[in-house]
Amino acid sequence: MNPLAQVLVDGIFTGASYALMAAGLALILGVVKVVNLSHGAFFTLGAYVAYVLESRGLGNPLAAVLMAAVIAFAFGVFLCKSFINPVRSHPFSVAVGSLGFAILFEQAAQMLWGPHTLSIDLGAPVAVVDGVTLRRWGVISFLVSLGLLGGLSLLLSRPWGLPLKLIAEDEEIAGSVGMDVEKIRYLTFGAASSVAAIAGALLAPAATITPTMGRVPLILSLIVVIASGMEKVWNIFFLAVGLGLLSNVSAYLFAPHWSYVLLLAVICLLLVFRPKGLAAAGPARDY
Amino acid sequence: MKPPRFGKIPGVLVAGAGILLLLPLAGLDVFLLDVLTIGFLTAVYAGSWDIVGGLAGQISLGHALFFGTATYSCALLTSLLGWPFPLAAGAALLLSTAAGAAVGTLSAPLKGPFVALLTLALGEAAHEFFLGQTFFSPRGAYSWGGEGGIPVLLGIPWFSPWIAYYAALAFLLLCTWIMLRIARSETGLIWTALSGSELSARASGVDIRRHKRLAFVAAAALAGAAGVGFAACVGRATADDFSLELSFQAATFAAVGGRGTIVGPILAALLFYPLLQGTGIPPAGRVLLYALVLLFTLRFFPAGVAGTLRERARARRMAGRKGDGR
Repeated sequence: MNPLAQVLVDGIFTGASYALMAAGLALILGVVKVVNLSHGAFFTLGAYVAYVLESRGLGNPLAAVLMAAVIAFAFGVFLCKSFINPVRSHPFSVAVGSLGFAILFEQAAQMLWGPHTLSIDLGAPVAVVDGVTLRRWGVISFLVSLGLLGGLSLLLSRPWGLPLKLIAEDEEIAGSVGMDVEKIRYLTFGAASSVAAIAGALLAPAATITPTMGRVPLILSLIVVIASGMEKVWNIFFLAVGLGLLSNVSAYLFAPHWSYVLLLAVICLLLVFRPKGLAAAGPARDY
Repeated sequence: MKPPRFGKIPGVLVAGAGILLLLPLAGLDVFLLDVLTIGFLTAVYAGSWDIVGGLAGQISLGHALFFGTATYSCALLTSLLGWPFPLAAGAALLLSTAAGAAVGTLSAPLKGPFVALLTLALGEAAHEFFLGQTFFSPRGAYSWGGEGGIPVLLGIPWFSPWIAYYAALAFLLLCTWIMLRIARSETGLIWTALSGSELSARASGVDIRRHKRLAFVAAAALAGAAGVGFAACVGRATADDFSLELSFQAATFAAVGGRGTIVGPILAALLFYPLLQGTGIPPAGRVLLYALVLLFTLRFFPAGVAGTLRERARARRMAGRKGDGR
């Protein structure tokens, strides 16, 4: 029995799912060119979908993932079409509006399922190596995350992903060579949202499910996106795993809420000391 | 570029203040009196957001940090250290102003969305920190801090809802006057230029970092004043005073009332706060309604309700019958 080794293993599993979420946020920043503060709400949505399925007796993680992905995709496209895209050029509206959507969702979840914490049965472990338990959800979430990130990395390196890269580079040129920029924007936002929901559904058994659970992964993803960029998918992966480890270990050593404070401190330090590193990832226009 | 913003509003304001002055005489019960009192303080808080977020264009999503600093200082200084309330109030004002200086200094080099991120993170960090703190408890009687809160000892035996009402109303009028003075001053003009375009403000020789910091300091002092008033009226400081929901509320009032108009956010707060608080909607539903109103306003009135209508009217006037506001 080595509790710290267990914490490290779980941290890697958690971090892999966070990487999925961060990759989605990075795609939104790159293609839609907004800082989307509602990304955490989709994570929460995924977790609640998993919870509802579990409580109805459908405790299959893959069913939860599929369902969460579909619902979040629809929500994401709707949000982008009805709100984010029209107000895209106003940074105030984007920041406050996307935060508003997140808060709207948090309050709706609180009214539907109550403010108390919910949980999902962890399931039987896959294997026990040297006293360290490899949990079923952990292995599944790690494999799914790795698969999806690999797919994204492949997409961005093939001709198929060219529209995404071109729009991230220069929208006007992308439009002038006949790409439907708006449609790609909606699809990207929807896909990124569904990826966040997948991360939420995968992590639901490991986490305590509350209406505000999406805030921690949102801050973590923001850190990753600020420090990395859209195209280097594996940078995102390693950064997210590192931060997942950091937050798990600090939660283990101190108390769970200190890991959130620590992440907030990291993002503050990053913003204060590397304001130039952000400009490259931020919106191209000077507002 | 912008029309004179404060044209006819002061006359309307005076009339409104007159109505509010007479309202308690029309037989208001204590509950509504309380709601209106807190509404006045919320209006000051909303106006203080507009100083930094509207006038100076620095999107602050952690404004509750300044409010909470003031309420917590009042509570800790009076209950734990036994200071008299007026002294604690002064110290609370200083502390929240200092918090404003700190946040302003940190965020001055940043732009647009990143100011929002930094202030959001700072506010959340403060909230999370105070949510977990119960070590203020004196001699283990019961646990202080967190969501249970810390009592504020006012020490004024003749304090009543009526006095609170009129004091808060006077405070609101005073603060509105101060904020309008700031907005119309040369500094206010510089802040407006800053929110228009940082680049051109810098080109005309403005020290933009200093002015961003200054805007945060002024806004934090006013938000702190509102916090002191809140602590006095409610008699308790809780971790909710730092919450993201409270920061978000300020931005909502500003967006609905029209950013940068000072009077708009104050009126929006005066209208919405009592309306939602006075009718028995549960807290979650209240915040949900705020978020809905905000999203609709941002989507269909990007410059605030008053601002967008004014812009459309102007566009129609200029373009004759052809202009359709787009």
